[in-house]
Amino acid sequence: MRKKSHPAAGRDFLVIGYGNELRSDDGVGPKVAEAVEALQLPGVRTLICQQLSPEHAEPISRARMVIFVDAAVDAPKEVQLRKLEPGEASQLMAHAADPRTMLALARDVFGHCPEAWWLTIPAAKLGFGEDLSPEAQRGFEQAVREIKNLCRS
Amino acid sequence: MSERIVIDPVTRIEGHAKISIFMDDAGNVSDAIFHVVEFRGFEKFCEGRPYGEMTGITPRICGICPVSHLLASAKAGDAIMAVSIPPAADKLRRLMNLGQIVQSHALSFFHLSAPDFLLGWDTPPPQRNVFGLIAANADLARAGIRLRQFGQEIIEILGGKKIHPAWAVPGGVRSPLTEEGRAKIRAWLPEAFATTKVAFDLFKKTLATHEKEVQVFGNFPSLFMGLVAPDGTWEHHGGKLRFSDSSGSIIADQLDPQKYFDYIGESVQNASYLKSPYYKPLGFPEGMYRVGPLARLNICEQMGVPKADAELKKFKKMGHGAVTSSFLYHYARLIEILASLEYIERYLDDADLLSDELRADAGINSLRGVGASEAPRGTLFHDYTVDRDGLLKKVNLIVATGQNNLAMNQTVAQIAKHYVHDNDIPEPMLNRIEHGIRCYDPCLSCSTHAVGQMPLRVQLIAPDGAVLNEVARG
Repeated sequence: MRKKSHPAAGRDFLVIGYGNELRSDDGVGPKVAEAVEALQLPGVRTLICQQLSPEHAEPISRARMVIFVDAAVDAPKEVQLRKLEPGEASQLMAHAADPRTMLALARDVFGHCPEAWWLTIPAAKLGFGEDLSPEAQRGFEQAVREIKNLCRS
Repeated sequence: MSERIVIDPVTRIEGHAKISIFMDDAGNVSDAIFHVVEFRGFEKFCEGRPYGEMTGITPRICGICPVSHLLASAKAGDAIMAVSIPPAADKLRRLMNLGQIVQSHALSFFHLSAPDFLLGWDTPPPQRNVFGLIAANADLARAGIRLRQFGQEIIEILGGKKIHPAWAVPGGVRSPLTEEGRAKIRAWLPEAFATTKVAFDLFKKTLATHEKEVQVFGNFPSLFMGLVAPDGTWEHHGGKLRFSDSSGSIIADQLDPQKYFDYIGESVQNASYLKSPYYKPLGFPEGMYRVGPLARLNICEQMGVPKADAELKKFKKMGHGAVTSSFLYHYARLIEILASLEYIERYLDDADLLSDELRADAGINSLRGVGASEAPRGTLFHDYTVDRDGLLKKVNLIVATGQNNLAMNQTVAQIAKHYVHDNDIPEPMLNRIEHGIRCYDPCLSCSTHAVGQMPLRVQLIAPDGAVLNEVARG
């Protein structure tokens, strides 16, 4: 997991990009978070990980707003931005959690659930590789714009 | 008019585990198979790349145990260069692996398994999870998250980030521990020890009421394999391989991991993408062995640190020879957390960890190199064959979950035999099968080199292949 704060920033917004960067479009979430990190937006932190796991609840609980960025399959062909509420998913044998679960953990264990958004980018190819498909590349660019808008709002 | 949009996030849909339970003509369970139906392909993907890139690539197999792949990959690189790495680099790699063991075992115990212990097997799945645990004991849930954070923090302090740190390299590591990092780890240690004590207390109470689970959750004879030091002390990032049997007898010792292929065979089954390794001298499937915490504690003679050694003595008294119940993987995990904390504490006083003598350099001196390291789930092998330019011609990864594949099948069959009658799949059995597999803490991202979680599907299959009953969850 990589964390970086803008030196002059507060701790208002947290952008979490997650996915496997070696599975082509599945890595679009981390790539978006890297791009946001490079923008050095005031008050914006980023967190990049392959999958969400319980300890991420702690930095989430310290944010005013969190934006989860992920790839999506079987989805509409455009970037989707949806408001997220905490949800308690049952865990079977999984090591990974979903964003709603992370919000609920932040609320129940660390005492604060921030406003949260789920930004999903259509994925067209998921084979081994580091490049994005043209569809995911378009989604990547739109996602960065959406995040800039959200963080300015 | 409202429109329903369904979006399936990629990283959470690729893994599907299916369990087939086979019935005989009399309507009794005869066998079971734990299928993993993800596609593996990582080894092919790496061919043609420089071997030095593998420490950057292979940690990305898995978001949970990237450090294990990093360290095994670095060791394989050491072997290709045919170098002995500086002592400081070896200690630093070990420190990172100890952090990895702590964080991974903490996740397994507190978040995946403790809800079963505390809330009971027959609690419905929507409540039998970490949120149920929070409701029942919020302090325990928080402490579990903090213990995992402690392990992650060690990884980040050394590697610069918690996942995919390309810090270990063929020949050594890139950077030492800093004074600031050492102080941070030292300050957190007392809390980590305290949480571990709470976990021991919880598990010992659990044992008092779970005699049946100890008896039927994967309680069968098998071989056990792992790394040990020359004197038989617990190892996690060095030493040689040892096999012991269920009577506790050592059947092979101080085997060179570089020659693993002389004594480990890999069987491929149609039902699963998981390979099924076995001990070659006994053949397949008689050579079934288990790896991971239970195996490591069975094969070693001592942990090498006092508090964990005291627990190891109690653990060993639970078996007649070896401890054969897979339910006791949980206990073994806690002992390994405790040992890891003691070793971490010991390393903090070692001046070598601040040294800048960290890397040996060499060209290609061997066209094949094997790295073996103990991942939290068991022994991990990275086997690279390169050409004279160091480009990979062949890659073979043997991961812990694959090595436990046969044992997981047998565990599922044993549980099913106790609970399945008249073609019915009762809810209590489903819960217990789920936990029986969880004892091994399988990592399907690693074992199939894909990503994903594990929705569960269980089928009862008649002798003629007809599906008699099926349930799905997740």
